[in-house]
Amino acid sequence: MTAAAIRQARRGTAIVAVLCAGMTALVAVQYRGLDGALGAESLTALAENPAIRTLFGPPVGLDTAGGFTVWRTGTVLAVLVGIWAALTATRLTRGEEEAGRFDLLLAGRLRLQALVARVLVVVLVAAAVIGVAGALGLVLAGTPVAGAAVFGAGLAGTGMIGAALGVLAGQLFPERRSASGLAVAVLLAGLLARMVSDGVPALEWLAWGTPFGLLGRSAPFAADRALPLLVLGVLVTAVAVLAVASAAGRDVGRGRVAGRDRRARPSRLLTGLSGLAVHRTRRPLAGWAAGAAAYFLLIGLLATSMTEFLRDNPAFADLAAQAGFAQLGSVQGYVAALFTLLAVVLGAFAAARVAATAGDEMAGRLTLLFALPVHRARWAVTEATVVGAATVVLAAAAGAAAWAGAAWVGAGLGLGQALAGALAGLPVGLLCLGAALAALGCAPSAVLAVGVTPAVGGYLLLVLTDTFGWPGVVRWFSPFAHLADVPAEPWNAAGAAGMVAVAVLLAAAGCLRYVRRDLRN
Amino acid sequence: MSATSPSVPALRMEGLSKRFGTTEAVADLSLAVPPGEVFGFLGPNGAGKSTTIRMLLGLLRPNTGTAWIFDVPASDVQRAHRHLAYVPADVALWPSLTGRECLDLLAGVGPGTDPAYRDELLERFALDPDRRARTYSTGNRQKVALVAAFATRAPLLVLDEPTSGLDPLMEREFRACIAEAARRGQTVFLSSHQLAEVEATCSRVGILRSGRLVEVAGLADLRRLHRAEVVVDLAAPATGLQRLADLPGVADLRWSSPVRLELSLTGPPGPVLRALGDADVARLEVREPSLEEIFLDYYGQAPA
Ligand SMILES: Nc1ncnc2c1ncn2[C@@H]1O[C@H](COP(=O)(O)OP(=O)(O)OP(=O)(O)O)[C@@H](O)[C@H]1O
Ligand SMILES: [Mg+2]
Repeated sequence: MTAAAIRQARRGTAIVAVLCAGMTALVAVQYRGLDGALGAESLTALAENPAIRTLFGPPVGLDTAGGFTVWRTGTVLAVLVGIWAALTATRLTRGEEEAGRFDLLLAGRLRLQALVARVLVVVLVAAAVIGVAGALGLVLAGTPVAGAAVFGAGLAGTGMIGAALGVLAGQLFPERRSASGLAVAVLLAGLLARMVSDGVPALEWLAWGTPFGLLGRSAPFAADRALPLLVLGVLVTAVAVLAVASAAGRDVGRGRVAGRDRRARPSRLLTGLSGLAVHRTRRPLAGWAAGAAAYFLLIGLLATSMTEFLRDNPAFADLAAQAGFAQLGSVQGYVAALFTLLAVVLGAFAAARVAATAGDEMAGRLTLLFALPVHRARWAVTEATVVGAATVVLAAAAGAAAWAGAAWVGAGLGLGQALAGALAGLPVGLLCLGAALAALGCAPSAVLAVGVTPAVGGYLLLVLTDTFGWPGVVRWFSPFAHLADVPAEPWNAAGAAGMVAVAVLLAAAGCLRYVRRDLRN
Repeated sequence: MSATSPSVPALRMEGLSKRFGTTEAVADLSLAVPPGEVFGFLGPNGAGKSTTIRMLLGLLRPNTGTAWIFDVPASDVQRAHRHLAYVPADVALWPSLTGRECLDLLAGVGPGTDPAYRDELLERFALDPDRRARTYSTGNRQKVALVAAFATRAPLLVLDEPTSGLDPLMEREFRACIAEAARRGQTVFLSSHQLAEVEATCSRVGILRSGRLVEVAGLADLRRLHRAEVVVDLAAPATGLQRLADLPGVADLRWSSPVRLELSLTGPPGPVLRALGDADVARLEVREPSLEEIFLDYYGQAPA
């Protein structure tokens, strides 16, 4: 049984571990290669910018390769590892239970609680392995072992929190999708709390309740504090105990939170293909939009803390301009920099929705549909259209929230500007949609991974090229190189048109394969 | 229902084959089912029944060969599927939708449903349609697909082991529905493991083994295949029973002890029962052989 869970988790563990080790090692080695060419002054200026602080956490130890690497990649990797662990945990618990495979295992002497505990241990160990890999990458790049160990422990702890949250959510909800949604939402709320704690001095204590805040407080390579890691350990233990405890005394196949099993009035949407596509997109869209809106409301609310900072530090604008970040000098530049992140979210949403279609196919849920007079291309186009429209709604929700936050503190950001900035990332979302559809046709088991590549891979590529001055040819391949800093700059229409064209090509190629290949299940 | 000429077969396959890697799931399968026939599609596990049906529905692409539904190529699903309704072996529904929502969806997207008949079917199959699919058992999910399929009144029903999750009561209802469909002139293509079910409902059967069609026969010929294993326990040894071996339909007479005999019986059991009447029979057991046993008997174990 434990062996089955290990088998199902090992590939993902290996990929995430390699990614963590590779990213940290790469950034650390590159930093050394620069040999201080970045300039301590420009680094400090960059790091003191509230926008950057909000995104990456308080900069400490930027003068060392390890400290710089942790500051630059720590949050991104921690979010990645946490979400991966949460999704893996819900997949191996609630997902397996939903598919009826727990029934078979529980036919023996094994009790549900023991089974859940074993799966949890497997994912906890996977998170630990990933943490070790992240630390190993740093050590191999020649950074001090102590700092690397602190960072690795923080990374592992974040993954463990994700794993425990995933298992807990899997006990609460009877469906994997809602369980995954809850676990990821709690994790991202933790990220928001960390951001609030970094942006609002009065709420600094919030950092002690979230793995991301604790990772920052442990200050790898600067202070190497043990206390935050200890608190992180306590947090992991608490959530894990709660998760296993809530597995006791419930029926297999049911959740603690009893969703209603009956509904007398059928949904009126469910009478046609487009209605079905809207029905299945509605709730995920609401969840993603709520998350994105909360994040960008906060970004908007923090806008004045930056304008105040600018007023108090007139020298900063010059420094930032010299460092090539002139745009950060205005509210518009600040939100534009953060809307770049929204593009990643849009892409992830689009890819996740196409992945849901691929998942439905694997689970056999599309078989009845495709036995009706429904051409697969018609379903793919209907679904893609609805997902595309949902992506626009998601972007607009984030833009409106940023505007609302900025308006609340009187930061001087127009609604039109906010919406334009948010919608500017749409081409990246569509690119991900196209890539995901291509994968649906050619590699249906890798839809999510392929689908998020233009967004996540492109973002990382841009960050790396900009930090280390790689040649422009490399930069060109990142979709983000073709996005303008809207609303600080005018919209890059040519770039957008190019990306949409690539997206359409990818989608068309995917659909062609999709209608020709065998249906899986 | 579509207007189709009686000379056009409801379904036709020619040289259909499908490989999965090195497994040859279906090999060179040719078959035609005339409209109005109830056709049983038999075969042991892994024979390729589901694969054949999934090719028929355009869910799998055949490596070679073509299939037609009322002369429409199976790959043209938009047209071909206007004439058929399908029940898969393993029905998966969206867990958060209620049974009624699934039925509404299938009816809304499908080629047309008789709502009054659907409500009647819901009653007959004792399905509570307001429950969410995640609370349904295997049999209940199968019922949703069966109700949806029968309610379409499509001229062709393609059913892949539709009763594997049904209890005997529901199984009886299912047989009644098949009979009604046959009376209405619908064609039924029924894949099954249950010889009794096939015998009760089908007029012709095809037997698949290792991906090849080894027999296509009418029901009368099927009875020839149908042997019963008879086990007789005697209260006291009886000598006169040796002549059982000479009775018509009896084969393979074995004495496992002086008071226990076993034989295979084809055809009516009357003569055997009369012969046993003289002996002191303590217990009589008549067991129908499994489909597999018949297969092994008739076609040997050599790969087809
Ligand atoms: N997607 C697939 N990939 C690889 N092999 C497959 C796949 N689907 C079916 N097979 C193989 O093809 C053969 C035929 O399978 P199929 O499901 O058609 O059998 P079946 O007659 O329906 O069996 P059952 O009575 O158990 O339902 C089997 O050997 C099976 O293992
Ligand atoms: Mg089958």
